[in-house]
Amino acid sequence: MTPCTVTTGFFTLGKCGVMAVAGCPACQRPLCAGHITESGLCPECAAARNQVGHPAAAAAYRRRMHRHRTAGEYQDAGWYAGFDAYDRSAFDPGAGAQQDYLDDGDDALVDS
Amino acid sequence: MADGHRAAYLAFDRFPSSKGSAVHIRHMAAELFDRYGGGLLCVLGGGGLPAYQREGAVEIVRFDAVVPNLLDRAEAFSAWAAEQLAPHRDTLELCHVRDPWGALPALDTGATLVYEANGLPSVELPYAWPLVAPSTLGKLRELERHCLSRAAAVVVPSYVIQRAVLDRGAAPDRVHLVPNGADPPPAGLPRPDTAPDRYLIYVGALQPWQGVDVLLRAFARLADLTDLALVVCSSVSANRARPLRRLAERLGVADRVRWQHMLPHAEVAAWLAHAELSVAPLTATPRNLEQGCSPIKVWESMAAGTAVVASDLPVIREVLGEHGRLVPPDRPAELARAIRVLLEYPDVRRELGERARRHVETGFTWRHARGRLAVVYETVAGR
Repeated sequence: MTPCTVTTGFFTLGKCGVMAVAGCPACQRPLCAGHITESGLCPECAAARNQVGHPAAAAAYRRRMHRHRTAGEYQDAGWYAGFDAYDRSAFDPGAGAQQDYLDDGDDALVDS
Repeated sequence: MADGHRAAYLAFDRFPSSKGSAVHIRHMAAELFDRYGGGLLCVLGGGGLPAYQREGAVEIVRFDAVVPNLLDRAEAFSAWAAEQLAPHRDTLELCHVRDPWGALPALDTGATLVYEANGLPSVELPYAWPLVAPSTLGKLRELERHCLSRAAAVVVPSYVIQRAVLDRGAAPDRVHLVPNGADPPPAGLPRPDTAPDRYLIYVGALQPWQGVDVLLRAFARLADLTDLALVVCSSVSANRARPLRRLAERLGVADRVRWQHMLPHAEVAAWLAHAELSVAPLTATPRNLEQGCSPIKVWESMAAGTAVVASDLPVIREVLGEHGRLVPPDRPAELARAIRVLLEYPDVRRELGERARRHVETGFTWRHARGRLAVVYETVAGR
C-alpha cells in the first residue's frame, strides 16, 4: 500500500498515511481520496495556484482585491511609509546580535 | 469550506515549533476555532512546514517568503496576511492577533480585533537587534499604540504587561488578564533514556534575558556535587547555544552540562518530571521588569510537580507565588545557595513541587486559560 503523504495535524504534525488512490499531477506525491482537491492537485499545490475554495468565491475575491488595490485603501493606512531606510538598516541580517537569521527563532517578535 | 471563515488567528511566529509561544498559540487558536466553527490560521512557515493545510474546518496558511531584513519581512507578512484575509472580509467576525503586523491587516477587515499582548516589539527587538535607533523604537511604540487603542479587547498574561499596554493607549476596561497555563503530565512518565541520575533542568529559549549565563555561573559553584548534572532543554537550535557552550567550557562545567535542542514538547514533560529542580533564572532587564511575561517554563515545571527556583521578579511572583523558591535575579551565588539548600532537603523540595502542581491543577491549566479567553470572546461579541 502506498500511503498518502500530505502533512496533517495542528500542533503535532504527521503524514496522513491513508491508502493513496492517486498522485498529485504537479508534485507527484501520493494522495488519498480525502486529500485530492477538486482540481485533482494536492492541497498545497492547489493553494499555490489559488484554486482553494468555491470558484464563485474566488471570483468575488479577485473582484474585491482589484477594487481594494486600486482604491489604495490598505496601502494608505500610513504605517507602510512609517519606517524609512534608516529604521530598516538596523534590522539587516548582519546587524543582528545573531548572524544566522535563517535559523529558527529570530522571526518571532516576542517570546512567551 | 475554504471560503467564508468567521474567525482568523494571525501570528508573526512559526507554528508549530518547540517554543513556548507555539504552545500558547495552540491553545488560544483552538479556543477561537472551537467557538467559531473553524477559521483561518496565518503564521510563519519555513523549516519544512507545509505552506497550506486544511484540518477539518481550520485552514492553516504559512508565510514562507525569504526576506532578509526583519522589518521588511514583518511588513511583507502584513501584506500577505491582508491577502489571506481578503476572501473572508464579508464573513469575518473576529480576528485574534499577537503583534502589530497581524493587527494592521486585521483592523483593515473591520472585524472585531482581539490583541493578545504577550510582549511588545518596541521593548524586545533591541535585544536581538542592538543597532536599532531610539527614533525607530518611538515609531514602533506609536504603531503599538495605534493597534492597541483600536482593539476591542487586549488579552495580557500578566499584570506587568497589563501596565505596559495601558501605557500604550489600551482602554482600561478592555484589558483582560488571561495567565498562561500548563497541563499536568500523566503520572508515571518514564525517565528519558539519556537522563543523568540527578539533574537540574532549564527549559526554554536562550536569549540574554533568560539568564542561562547566570545559571551556568551558579552551577559552577556547585562543583563539589559531582553527581549533579545540568540539563538545558533549549527551544532553539545548537547554533544559538554556542556562546553559552563556550561559557560553560570557561567555567569548567562543560562535561556536566547536557544540551537538548528543540525537543518535541511532549518529550520535555518527562525531562521536567524527573529533574531534582527546575530553574528559571530570568534577569532584571526592562524586558522582564517593564514589559513582563508569563513564562511557560515555570508553569510547566509546576504542573510536572518539580520544585522551581526562580528569580524574584514581579512576573515570577505572579506565577509562582508561595509555591517555589525565589532568589534575587542576576546573583549566581544566591542562586547556587538556594539550589544547594533545596537539594539538601528533599522533603521540602517534594512538598513545594506538590503544592505547585495542585495550584496549577485547581486554576491554571490550559482548560482554565481557554475558559478565561472564552469570557473575553463573549464580552466582545456582546458589545
